[in-house]
Amino acid sequence: MSLETLWLALLGLLLAGYFVLGGYDYGAQMLSPFLGSADAGPRPDAGPAARAGAGSGIGTGTGPDGRNAALDAIAPFFLGNEVWLVAFAGVMFGAFPHLEGSLLSGLYPLIVAILAGLVLGNAAIQLRGRSRGARAAKVWNALVVLGGALPAVCWGIVVGLLLHGVPRRADGSFHVGAGDVFGPFALTCGVATALLFAGHGAAFVALRSEPGTATAARRLGATLLAAAGAAGALALLLSVFGAGASMTRTGTSVVLFALVVAALAAGWWFLGRSRDTLAFTATCLATALPVLLIGAGQYPYLLSASAGGGITVDDAVADGATLKLLIGFGVVVVPLILLYQGWSWWAFRGRTGRRHPSYF
Amino acid sequence: MSAADLARLQFAATTSVHWLFVILTMGLVPIVAIMHTRAAYTRDLAKRAVRERMTRFWGQLYVINYAVGIVTGLVMEFQFGLSWSGLSKFAGNVFGAPLALETLIAFFAESTFLGMWIFGWGRMRRGIHVVLIWLVALTAYLSAFWILVANGFLQHPVGYEVRDGVAYLTDFWALVTNANAQVALAHIALAALTTGGIFVAGISAWHFAKGTRETELFRSSLRLGVWVSMLSSFFVIIVGNLQVPVIEKTQPIKAAILNGTDLAAAQAQEVAAHGPGDYLPWTSWVKNSMDLMTILGNTVSTITFIAVFLLLKDLLVRKRWLAYLMTAIIPLPFIASVGGWMVREIGRQPWLVYGQLTVDDAVSNVSKGSLVVSCAVFIAIFLALAVTNWTLITRFARRGPDGAQLGAGDPLPDDLPGAGGADEKQRVPAF
Repeated sequence: MSLETLWLALLGLLLAGYFVLGGYDYGAQMLSPFLGSADAGPRPDAGPAARAGAGSGIGTGTGPDGRNAALDAIAPFFLGNEVWLVAFAGVMFGAFPHLEGSLLSGLYPLIVAILAGLVLGNAAIQLRGRSRGARAAKVWNALVVLGGALPAVCWGIVVGLLLHGVPRRADGSFHVGAGDVFGPFALTCGVATALLFAGHGAAFVALRSEPGTATAARRLGATLLAAAGAAGALALLLSVFGAGASMTRTGTSVVLFALVVAALAAGWWFLGRSRDTLAFTATCLATALPVLLIGAGQYPYLLSASAGGGITVDDAVADGATLKLLIGFGVVVVPLILLYQGWSWWAFRGRTGRRHPSYF
Repeated sequence: MSAADLARLQFAATTSVHWLFVILTMGLVPIVAIMHTRAAYTRDLAKRAVRERMTRFWGQLYVINYAVGIVTGLVMEFQFGLSWSGLSKFAGNVFGAPLALETLIAFFAESTFLGMWIFGWGRMRRGIHVVLIWLVALTAYLSAFWILVANGFLQHPVGYEVRDGVAYLTDFWALVTNANAQVALAHIALAALTTGGIFVAGISAWHFAKGTRETELFRSSLRLGVWVSMLSSFFVIIVGNLQVPVIEKTQPIKAAILNGTDLAAAQAQEVAAHGPGDYLPWTSWVKNSMDLMTILGNTVSTITFIAVFLLLKDLLVRKRWLAYLMTAIIPLPFIASVGGWMVREIGRQPWLVYGQLTVDDAVSNVSKGSLVVSCAVFIAIFLALAVTNWTLITRFARRGPDGAQLGAGDPLPDDLPGAGGADEKQRVPAF
């Protein structure tokens, strides 16, 4: 394996890791108004009204103490999850500097929207517990949802544009206009991704919450995954009629797309049968695979132009000396990262309860 | 305003706001780590309780501050690619490496371990919990190291050669040991410790002025804060002066402005080296920022030097106005440090990579409309977050240790008398 391929694999790993981990954060954020109530499940001392509420499958949002079950589920992992995006950007700058400049400035309005959403959402998650008063709580909770939905939709549009190809100016620089961002295929991808992240978030909440919330999350998650599948089918249809993805490697792309669909179906199936671990594994696959679809389906292009051609791996990659230097650090640091991230997942395993430390 | 001006405004404004939170993060985390260690290894139960409350109180303020530091930092990572794609085209092979290493070696660990520390109260073994906060402190400073290596390359590029208009990395060791980066790193680390020390001392003094009953907790905090800020504000000035010879050797224009020597001669020297052009930055900004930093730095250093002696018998907080004076100087190190960055960054204009790439040549091909919108969006969000965050820090600082939510075991409804809850895990005395 050449150094280039190794760095490409690491870049893909970081982006896929971010989609999986950030994806369930954004999903849980979007679902926080619906899966918020910590005691959505029937409690022995609860009255008939409360039990009926739990029976309807959907909690009543954030509880009176300000706690939110969906956000409690992601809380201990939240800070460690967002880092994957920053590491992706850092490694892209270090190993693929010529992609970094073209991709980020080319997709300028989308990246700005993603960042604005992330800043507001991340700040809201960390600070909502610090404020008093109903009005402040309302604003923070709205920002939590916005900070999940806006990046989710925009990342979907980015994926759509990368699958379709990005318009290029005469001087070789990339740029997107409103017509590209709000094109039918890009928008469909945006909606599909938001639904997928929401379903993935529901699967995570099902895995980690108290039985009552988990039941509601399973039901919601199954519906969302089915809807994501429908949106994905529409994207495929658009591609078949030439208004969607234009891949350099059709065969690989079809196989990968079929795997995404299979993962979605598996997630839906296992959620319906309360097999939470398997369901979450399936939704993890469904969120990670689109990264592979971009990488392998467009190979050798990392950023393909809508008129054909684009920036290849060779164009984008840093000089050999830089790569060699970085790999020396990489072989030590990357396994270490996986190790301590794994430790943090292990340390906070198990379902949340009312005795679980709550901070956010 | 040209597109380049807008991109510069966006970068300057967002970086400055980001920095105001970074400096307090760096200043507070070692202090919190020291407090946590002392608490964890105190035998006396009553004393340990006080020290643990102390850790949670200051840890709470640190964590609130960190929230905005991390979210604004997220934006910084993308700024180079968004608005300055000329930089990655020219210097990507060199400049990208320290940024990549910063995320992989430092930031990844800092954020993961902080998440574990926040949620680890009552869940992790005491020793491991203490190790976590030290890892957070260590990686915060490692982060600063790599960022300064990257910034040092822009100030004084080393360890590279240019072939066909593109920079290639030739000597990583030279890049890492760049004097411009290392002296600046020491300077800002000391500035951060000064900021953290003054913050702790100022808030403790305020509580004394208000007649707090937590005298043991705040006395101990006050001592730590005053000593840390006294020592670091003394050395921050010395290390700051060590930068002068480095600047004189590598940045003639900046040196001429700071030393008040002949600017025309320096300009002529630059023209001889880089061809015709105007190489003068906004000289009055550089000069005034330098004066501001120097005056504030010396003020803080003098006050903390005197304050150390007034720690005797609590003299510092017996007179109310003295206590309030300690509180009033909390903003000074922040303002001084922004002044310092102004000198460093404005002083190297028009260069992005000194002597190699100008700011105007590096700006991305992005429409002016997009830049106006993004500039307005980022500045509005950042300012709103900064104000909100400082309001929250102030509120929690005033509330005192009882208000700390970090690691607090709130009494659950079931724990209250009369609620009668036989919930899952009843606390059982451990044998």
